[in-house]
Amino acid sequence: MTDGTPPSEPDRASGPAGDAADRGAPGAPAAPAAGARTRVSGGFGRYLLKHVAGAAVSLLLVLFSSFFIFRLIAGDPIDQLTRERPVSPEQRAAMRAELGLDQPMWKQFWDYITGTLTMDLGDSFQYRRPIFDLIVERLPATLLLSGTGMVLAVLLGFWIGARAGWRQGSRFDRGQVATGLLLYSAPTFWLGMIVILVFARYLGLFPVNGMRSPSTPPDFWSQAVDIGHHLVLPVLTYTAVVYAGYLMIMRSSVLDELGGDYLTTARAKGLRDDEVRRRHAVPNALLPTVTLVFLALGSVVNGSIVTETVFSWPGLGSLFVQSIFYPDRPVLQALFVLFSASTILAVLCAEILYWFIDPRIRRTG
Amino acid sequence: MNPHALTRRFLSALAVLALTAGALAVAAPGAAAQEDDVDTLLIATNQEVDTFNPFKRRNVITYETSMMTYDTLVKMGTEYEPVPGLATEWVESEDGLTWTFTIREGVTWSDGEALTANDVAYTYGLLIENQAIHDWNVDFAGNLVSAEAPDDATFVLTLAQPAPWDVLTREVYIVPEHVWSQFPDPSADDANQLPLVGSGPFQVTEYKTDELIRLKANPDYWDGAPGFDEIVYDYYAETDAAVAALEAGEVDVVGSGMQGGLNPAQIEALAKQDHVTVNDVQGRRYVSITLNHGTVTQDGTEFGDGHPALKDPVVRKAMHMAIDKQALVDTVLDGSGSPATSIIPAIFAQYHWDGGDSLVQFDIEGANALLDEAGYERGEDGVRTMPGGGQRLSFRFYQHADNTAYATIAQFAVEWWAELGIEVVPEAIEQGELNNLAYLGEFDIAFSGWGVGPNPTEQLGMHTCAVLPTLTDGTERSSENSYCNPDFDALHEQQKVESDPDARAELVKEEQRLLYEDTPVIYLYYQNVMEAYDHDSVTGMTTQPTENGMVTGQQGFTWSYWSAQPVGGDGDEGGPSAWVWIAVAAAVIVVAGAGFVLTLRRKKTADERE
Repeated sequence: MTDGTPPSEPDRASGPAGDAADRGAPGAPAAPAAGARTRVSGGFGRYLLKHVAGAAVSLLLVLFSSFFIFRLIAGDPIDQLTRERPVSPEQRAAMRAELGLDQPMWKQFWDYITGTLTMDLGDSFQYRRPIFDLIVERLPATLLLSGTGMVLAVLLGFWIGARAGWRQGSRFDRGQVATGLLLYSAPTFWLGMIVILVFARYLGLFPVNGMRSPSTPPDFWSQAVDIGHHLVLPVLTYTAVVYAGYLMIMRSSVLDELGGDYLTTARAKGLRDDEVRRRHAVPNALLPTVTLVFLALGSVVNGSIVTETVFSWPGLGSLFVQSIFYPDRPVLQALFVLFSASTILAVLCAEILYWFIDPRIRRTG
Repeated sequence: MNPHALTRRFLSALAVLALTAGALAVAAPGAAAQEDDVDTLLIATNQEVDTFNPFKRRNVITYETSMMTYDTLVKMGTEYEPVPGLATEWVESEDGLTWTFTIREGVTWSDGEALTANDVAYTYGLLIENQAIHDWNVDFAGNLVSAEAPDDATFVLTLAQPAPWDVLTREVYIVPEHVWSQFPDPSADDANQLPLVGSGPFQVTEYKTDELIRLKANPDYWDGAPGFDEIVYDYYAETDAAVAALEAGEVDVVGSGMQGGLNPAQIEALAKQDHVTVNDVQGRRYVSITLNHGTVTQDGTEFGDGHPALKDPVVRKAMHMAIDKQALVDTVLDGSGSPATSIIPAIFAQYHWDGGDSLVQFDIEGANALLDEAGYERGEDGVRTMPGGGQRLSFRFYQHADNTAYATIAQFAVEWWAELGIEVVPEAIEQGELNNLAYLGEFDIAFSGWGVGPNPTEQLGMHTCAVLPTLTDGTERSSENSYCNPDFDALHEQQKVESDPDARAELVKEEQRLLYEDTPVIYLYYQNVMEAYDHDSVTGMTTQPTENGMVTGQQGFTWSYWSAQPVGGDGDEGGPSAWVWIAVAAAVIVVAGAGFVLTLRRKKTADERE
């Protein structure tokens, strides 16, 4: 049993630094609570306005920079379209005109801004289809994979994290933290290939990749079972890679509660240790992590880029990767804005939520 | 505290997950197996569909779907020779400007309508009159004057200049007038709504971006029904995943559908599988190095910053002599290729030029002698300088950063050239940037490589004076390395209009000889096609060429997929045995049961103690 002193491991709260894209790092949102108490609250309206305005500015910056960032990727789209095929200057000109590349830069920029604001995202270079349709078509696949993976990762991470923190220093704690961090630092790509080799190639239990088999009958149940079958390995990989982030945060949050007097009181009432943890410590430790869940929702849209690529999962992540290699600028621009917007909105939601669950905010604005 | 309490709920949660996954593993293949009476040929791909419009497509994948969905008047045979397609016969007028085709009778579209000469005239009419379609195909559409169908079985095509059969027919897929004419602008993609209506052996019926393309067999195909009921292109983002899928029996064919293809290591791994046939055969691709001999515009303005010594044919020839192409084939390709002479790979035996008397032999001494004679003297550091105490022969050598083969070639070449007293500094550059530099003329030596089509005009055409850029900003990219030689141009124009195949082939070979001797480009090797298929599920695929030919990446017609036959019942392909299923099911039940019991016990004790 731990003593009453709260151990100090504050840095872990932001999760270990991750390198791969899949580790949509569940870091805490910029905690407004840190500000000094300089003035009295201007009320919820003011607070809301401030954060909505902040989010709007971020969105605008993303919108502007997205146009320029992807112009830095070298390469003429026409080279890709005509890859390994001799074409006449007339054909090149015709293709440039069709893609709108013959327009001056300011015109392209204007079309991009107005198009994005009116949800008319233009056509993809590589698919020659409206980008809006592409995104709508692929969003469900991504939501299914990252959504399922995220829920599992949060549940698993919180569950283990609470127990690990409660018994800090125990063999369970050390074992779980080591396992979690090991998986967290394994390259998603490599882990995915190992999972494919073991479960698909050698054991033959699950399909190698894709979201459904071409031969599956079109009725709902067959499709659902087939998609579920294809979903197992990518979700396994995804969960394995990201759950450690939640584990570490929950663990440290529980550690912060360990010294609380109310726990001593609870024990004094004669509650079993298990009950003290479950009924008293965890609910309090959950508070700081609630916002995390919102942040997780934000990264559900863009959270599984590498996993999708390894498993050829037809979602937004694999679309993004393919578009980088092309380079399919309009798609990259649209996805970049979408990914950023979902994160910005999630952060905004988390901040709004803070107002209601953390009284300190109300005092400091 | 009860030490077991921690693990109980965790175990039960795991059990539920394992149970779900196990149930899916067992149930899903069964659900899929219900439709086993449909024979499907599964081909791995990673290439996106640009458009199903056969006149505006550029990608290899849509080339294949077009060849299967539609027919051409004349087909390209397994030896790249003309074979009757929708036209049973064709006659060329004395002046070569009027071609009369007799259209096959009794051919129907996949929707049951009859195909007549009117459909053919309509299709060629699109190439002449529809602006967008005309522009996209201007290299041959620009030569078409009129397209008429005097009766249901006759089609007459008039040209501005004579042209060979494959230019006139190879990429003109006859489309159904009764479908296409319903759309105000048939060049727009709404004319290509699925399912496509065509007269070929398979029609595209379904497409899910990056998931699959499905083609249904046309049982009434005029040349005989295909062996498979359907073809599905299955998307694999990674070639390694496609290889694993072939090993696991989830896909039947892996080949040119995967861009970049299979590498020797993958082929080696696949060759060990009992159910897989690997095919390592001559291909259509060459790899070359371009020497910047001076970048110029049509009016002779020089631009770029190439090294002046490379303008000297002697230097280029000496560099050519110092390359051991066979050694490159052996080391870089593991022998899966052949040394190149000029631009047309050996697979097109008719047009390929073998080098004859001009063939350059690997001869470092000879190369050194050439340079000595031309006055390139070695300095103190062993590097030669230009005659008259000019610049040192120090060249930049740009290679594609993502290509490991190029990196190996560069290592060899740098050593060979060093023996000539030429200093070469290799540098890996990202592909798009490398292209930009190449067309701006800002390089000395750079890699290049092309997949060559069966019509030599296309590839040779990149070396005519007519396609030199007019601007110096590098945006006009039709010329391969600013090559311009009036003799070459004259031959090129001649072969374009020469309709006697043998005479044309001679002209094409002569063009290659000029290109070889002028050495603006050193052709290194022709790369083999590496492909593999599951012979437990597919058999009888005709290769192109018949001898030592390929299954994937065929030209003019997909002989392989049309002739492919399913093997046996196509039942349980490579999946795990029944014992594995039973073991898995048992394990799942044990784990689930244990979890369940533990959970119950835990609840009980908890209730008792509170």
